[in-house]
Amino acid sequence: MARQTNCAGISRRDCLQLGLGSLLGGGLANALRMQATAGESSSPIRQAKSCILIWMDGGPSHYETFDPKPSAPAEYRGEFKAINTKVPGMQFAEHMVRLGAIGNELAVIRSIRHDQGNHGAGNHYMMTGAPPRIPVGCGAFVSFHPSLGSVTASQVEAPAGLPAYFSIPSMTRSGGPNFLGAKYAPFVVADNPNTADFRVRDVALPRGLTGDRFASRSDIRTEVDTFKRYLDETVSDPATGLDQHYRQAYDLMQSKEAQAAFDIQREPDRVRETYGRNPFGQRALLARRLVEAGVPFITIDDGGWDHHTKLFETLKKRLPTWDQTVAALIDDLRQRGLLETTLVIALGEFGRTPQINKDSGRDHWSNAMSVLMAGGGTPGGQVLGATDAKGFAAVERVLSPENFASTVYAKLGIDPGKILYDANKRPVHLVSDPTPIKELMG
Amino acid sequence: MRCFFSLILIASTTSFLHAELRILPSSVQLTGKGSRQQVVVQQQIDGRWVDRTSDAKYELTDPKFAVVSEKGIVTPLADGKTTLRITLAQQTSTVPVTVIRGSEYPAVTFERDIQPILTRYGCNSGPCHGKARGQNGFALSLLGYDSDFDHAAITSEAKGRRLFPVAPENSLFLRKATGQVPHGGGKKISAEEPAYQTLLRWVASGTPRTPVNTPVLERITLEPSVLSMGFRQDQRMLVTAVFSDGTKEDVTHLSTFQSNDAVYAGVDNTGRIRTGPLPGEAAIMARYMEKFAVCNVLIPRPEAVPADYYTKLPRQNFIDGLVWAKLQQLGLKPSDPADEATFHRRIYLDIIGRLPTPEETRTYLANPAANKRTALVDRLLDRPEYGDWWANKWADLLRPNPYHVGIKAVFNLDGWLRDSFRQNKPYDVFVRELLTARGSTFRNGAAVMFRNRRQPDELTTMVSQLFLGVRLDCAKCHHHPFEIWGQNDFYSMAAYFGRLGHQGQGISAPISGGEEVIFLSGNKGEVKHPLNGKVMTPKPLVGMADVGNDDDPRQVFAKWVTSPENPFFAKVIVNRMWADFMGRGIVDPVDDLRATNPPSNGPLLDALADDFRKNGYDLKKLIRTIVSSHVYSISTDPNETNHGDHRNYSRHYRQRLRAEVLLDAAGDITGVGERFDGMPPGTRAMEAWTVRMSSLFLDSFGRPDPNQDPPCERTLDTSVVQSLHLMNSPNLHRKITADEGRAAKLAASKMTSAEIVNELYLATYGRLPTDAERTKAVARFEKPNAVRRTATEDLMWALLNTPEFVFNN
Repeated sequence: MARQTNCAGISRRDCLQLGLGSLLGGGLANALRMQATAGESSSPIRQAKSCILIWMDGGPSHYETFDPKPSAPAEYRGEFKAINTKVPGMQFAEHMVRLGAIGNELAVIRSIRHDQGNHGAGNHYMMTGAPPRIPVGCGAFVSFHPSLGSVTASQVEAPAGLPAYFSIPSMTRSGGPNFLGAKYAPFVVADNPNTADFRVRDVALPRGLTGDRFASRSDIRTEVDTFKRYLDETVSDPATGLDQHYRQAYDLMQSKEAQAAFDIQREPDRVRETYGRNPFGQRALLARRLVEAGVPFITIDDGGWDHHTKLFETLKKRLPTWDQTVAALIDDLRQRGLLETTLVIALGEFGRTPQINKDSGRDHWSNAMSVLMAGGGTPGGQVLGATDAKGFAAVERVLSPENFASTVYAKLGIDPGKILYDANKRPVHLVSDPTPIKELMG
Repeated sequence: MRCFFSLILIASTTSFLHAELRILPSSVQLTGKGSRQQVVVQQQIDGRWVDRTSDAKYELTDPKFAVVSEKGIVTPLADGKTTLRITLAQQTSTVPVTVIRGSEYPAVTFERDIQPILTRYGCNSGPCHGKARGQNGFALSLLGYDSDFDHAAITSEAKGRRLFPVAPENSLFLRKATGQVPHGGGKKISAEEPAYQTLLRWVASGTPRTPVNTPVLERITLEPSVLSMGFRQDQRMLVTAVFSDGTKEDVTHLSTFQSNDAVYAGVDNTGRIRTGPLPGEAAIMARYMEKFAVCNVLIPRPEAVPADYYTKLPRQNFIDGLVWAKLQQLGLKPSDPADEATFHRRIYLDIIGRLPTPEETRTYLANPAANKRTALVDRLLDRPEYGDWWANKWADLLRPNPYHVGIKAVFNLDGWLRDSFRQNKPYDVFVRELLTARGSTFRNGAAVMFRNRRQPDELTTMVSQLFLGVRLDCAKCHHHPFEIWGQNDFYSMAAYFGRLGHQGQGISAPISGGEEVIFLSGNKGEVKHPLNGKVMTPKPLVGMADVGNDDDPRQVFAKWVTSPENPFFAKVIVNRMWADFMGRGIVDPVDDLRATNPPSNGPLLDALADDFRKNGYDLKKLIRTIVSSHVYSISTDPNETNHGDHRNYSRHYRQRLRAEVLLDAAGDITGVGERFDGMPPGTRAMEAWTVRMSSLFLDSFGRPDPNQDPPCERTLDTSVVQSLHLMNSPNLHRKITADEGRAAKLAASKMTSAEIVNELYLATYGRLPTDAERTKAVARFEKPNAVRRTATEDLMWALLNTPEFVFNN
C-alpha cells in the first residue's frame, strides 16, 4: 500500500481519479512529489516498530502512581505510601509493586504539564500533541488535529491488509484521524478478549461459518463478479481500487500468521494468567499479539481513572491488577526480544489536584502529571523532571504535550516537524514544537 | 520531449517556414540596471500558436544599449533606444527596446524589491518563517502581508544580529539563505542569482523601506492568457507587473506558478507550461506578491471529429447542447447510453438514496411506455425517502457536535432539515430561514446553527463557504495567495453577525445541553478589524447591502445572499447538486468558486444557475432538469476518445455508495433491518440523526463525524476495512442467515432455483442475471448435497461482496 503520498493530503483515490498510474513521471506525479517533499527534513531513525499506548481515561493521579510525595503534609500526600523500586532513588506509590521490580526498564516523566483541565481538551492535547483550537467542554469528544495513532497509520506501513491502527475496546475521545480521513481511523475491537469465544471482528470468520463454506462462497463470488472493469488507468475506475482492497482483505483471511495474531485462545493459560484474567489484562495480551503481527500502533482505551471521589478505596482495588498487567506486558515483550522495538506508554489526560477533596478524591490538575514509558529504545531506570515537594506543579525539566508527541513520532521514525496538508490543502504542522525529549531518545 | 517536438517540426516544415511570428511583449522597456525582460516567441503551426522561444536567434541592432541572451532575456547597458531582431528560419520580427537609467542601479527598497524575493523563495510561506510562531526564532508575516512587522524582524530583532552592515555579505540573513551557515530550510538562493545581488544591495544601502509615495503594484498580467496546445508541448509564460504610474516590469523570475490540473498541463517554477498526454484543460496561475493572473490551457484531442457528429447527438434539454459544445472543443465523444436497468438503479440511488425493489425493477423494465423515465422521475421525487436522503446530505454540512451544542439541539436541527426537504422548501427560503433564525434552540432547529457557530468570524467562514462557495478562512488572517479577498472583506462581512445575541445556557463544561435563545441584541455588538481595531461597517463581498438603523443586520445579509444579483448563490447550489448526480462538480471542490479554480464548463454552470433562479430556487425542478438530460443517462463505459476525461461528463463517473445507502441496501437485500440506539425497530440508516448512534458499518464506510472540526469530509474511498466488513462482519452475517431474512424465505418458498437467482440479482444489482449467469448460479443450487438455504445465503453473500453492489454505475 502506497501510504507515503498521503501526507500530502492527497488520497490514493485522488491519484486514481487522476489516473496517476499511467502518468508517473508526468505533471501530476511531479506535483505530488514536490508537495510531499515541501518543507520536509530528513526523517528520524526509527527506533520503535510499534507503539502500545495505554490510555488511562479520566486522568490518573500522579500521587498514587508514579510521583508519590511521602514527605508532603497528609492533606496532599494521601493514604498511600511510597515504595522503593529496583532503581535507587526512584520511588513509586505503594501499589506499583511489579512495575517497581522492573523499574530498570522504565522511564517516568514527571514534568509534562499543560493548561487543559477538562477531559475533552486534555485528551485532545495528549492524544494529538495539539491543544484544542477553541475551548471545549469536559464531556467533549473533539478533534482538531489527527491523533498519534492516525498519523502513524498514515506514515508507517502495516503488513498488507492489516489495519495499521487498532483501538481497543473503543476509540479515545480525540483518537480519530481528523483531516487524514476515515481510512486512518482506528480499527476498533470492542469485544472482550477475556471471553471464551472472543474473535477480532471482521478479520476472523463470523461465528458459525466454516472455512470450507467461506472458500466456497469466495468461489461463487468470483463466478458472479462480472462487473466490467475499465482497466485503462487513465479512466481511474474506482472498482479497480476496490479489487486491490478486496484482494488484501482476502489474503489476510488466508494468511495463517495473520489469523493466528488475532487468536488469543492460542496463548497458554500461564501467559493469560500472567497478564491477568480480566478484560484489561487480555487486551494488553492481544496488543502484544498485534505487535508480533506487525501492527504499528495500538491504543488500549482503559476507562475509569477520574477519581473525584473515593480515590484510595477505588485505587486499592484497581492498581494491583493494572500494575500486574502493565508489568507483565513489558516483561513479556522483553523476554520475546520485542521490547527494544516496541514503545509502551501509559498516561491519561492530566494529573490530579494536590489537595484531597471532601469526598476523598482528587480533581483535575494539568499542572502536573506522570507519564510512563518503556521500550522502543527508551533508556530505562530514569525519572525525568520533577514536581515540587508537594506535587503542585512540574518544576524541573518542564515539558509540554508537544514534546511528548514529538518523542513518540521520532521513535516511530516520523519527523515531528513534518508538514501535512489538510482538506483545503493548507499546510499544517504535525507538531508545532517538534522537539523530542532527548533523554528518552537513547 | 524534445524528440517529439522535432518530429512535429520535420513533419510540418513546409507549412511553417513562412508562418508568422508572434512576439511577447510588443515592446521592451528597461528601467534601471538589474532590470530584465524575457521575450517569448510563438509561431503558428497547424492553426495553433507554438512556443519557439528557444529556437529563435536574438540580436540587437545597437549592442551598446543592451544585451540579449541566447534564451531571449534582454538586460540594459546604457540609456537609449535600439531594436531587437528575432529570427526563426526565414522569418524575422523586430521589437523596439528602450533603456532608461540603464547604467545605475535603482534604489532597492523593502516593500517593492525585497518582499517579492522573500515571497518567491518561500521564506515567508506557511511551512517556514511565515507560520504563526516563525521558524527557529525568525518570524515573518505570512506571504508578506505585514511589512512593518517583517522589516523589524529582519533589521532590529535579535538585537540586529541578522544584519552586518559593515560587511553585508556576512549578514546572517544572507548566509542562512545561501546555506553558508546551516539553515533548516536548506540553500534557498545562490550568490550568483540576481535576487541575491538585490538583497545584498539592500543591506549595503541601509535596509531602506519603500517611500510611501512610490507607485504601488496594481495588477499583474500573464501572457499568453489563453492557449490551445498539443500533447507534450511546452510554453513559456510571461508575468508582467503593472504599477500605479503605468510602468511595467517583467517579474516572471519572481513569480510562483501553479496548475489546477497538472495531469493535463503542469507548470514548473520558471513559468514553463508542459502539457501531458491527455485531452483536457487546465488553469495555470501565476502569483506575484498578492496579485495573481490565470491562463486557461486547452488540449484538444489531435484526431478531428466531424462537426456534424455533434449536431446529430441527442438534445433532451439545454444541458446536452452545452456539454456537447465543450466536448466538441476537446474532440471527445460521449459514451453510449446506459442500459435501462443501470439507469433505473442509478436514478433510484441518486434521487432517493435507496435501491429499487425487485418488483419495482421488474415493472419498470417491462413497461413499454415511451415516457416511462419522466414518470419514474416524478414518482421518485414524491417518495417520502426523498426528504431523508437530502436532509442526510445537508446534515453532513450543518450537523453540529452533540458534545458542543447538546443532543437536543442536534435533534431539532435534524428535524428542521428533514421537514425542509420533505416540503421542498425553495432553496432561497431555506437559506434565509437559516441565516435569520431566531428563538429557542429547543423550538427552532434552524437557530441551532448559531448555537454551534457562535462568533461572527466562525459564522462568516462557514456561511461563505457553504452558500457562496467562497473560502474566507485564509482571509481572516492574511491575503490568500490565490484569492482576491483580504481581511477587510472578511471582517466587513462578519459585521453582519455583530449583533447576534445569545441568551440562556451557553456552551459550558461539562455538558452544554441547555436551551438557548438566539435574538437580535439592541445596538450592542460590533466587529472590529483585528489589526487596526477599526469598527467594521457591514458590507457584503460584492454589491451593496447597507444596514439601516431599524434593520436586523442578519435580515439584510440574508437578503443579499439570496438575491438574484448575487453571483455566487445559485451557482454554488447547482454545482453541488450537479456533483451529486454526476460524480464531480463543474467546479471542483464544489464549494471553492474563484478565478483560480475555473469551472470545467462555465456556460453550463451559468445556464443551470439561471434556470434554477427562473424556477424559483426549486430543488426538485433542478433535479428533474439534470436527470432528464441525455448526459445524465450515458454509460460509465469509456469509448476510444474519452477514457481520460474526468471533468467534462463525456462518460458517467462511477461512485461508491454512501455508508447509509449501503447499510440500508444491505437491510433491504437481506430483509433484516438495522437497530439503532434509541430508535424504533425499522429505522433506516438514512433516518439516524446523530453519529452517537453507534454503527461499525457506518464508521467503516465513513460518515462525517461532527466531533471533528472541521467534520471530516465524506469520502467515497474504498478500503480493506470495508472489504473485511462486508466479508465477515457478524452483523451482516446475521442478516444473511437470519430465519426471518430474505434468504430463508426464498429458500422456504416454492420458487425454482432460477427464480431465486433472479430475485437475488434484482435485489442486489437491480437487474436480471444474464442467461450465463443464471445457469452458473443455478448449478450451485443443483449440486449434489446442495442445501437450498445455504446456496441462497452463499449467493447473497457473494453478490454483496462484489463491486457491482458497492458502486453506483
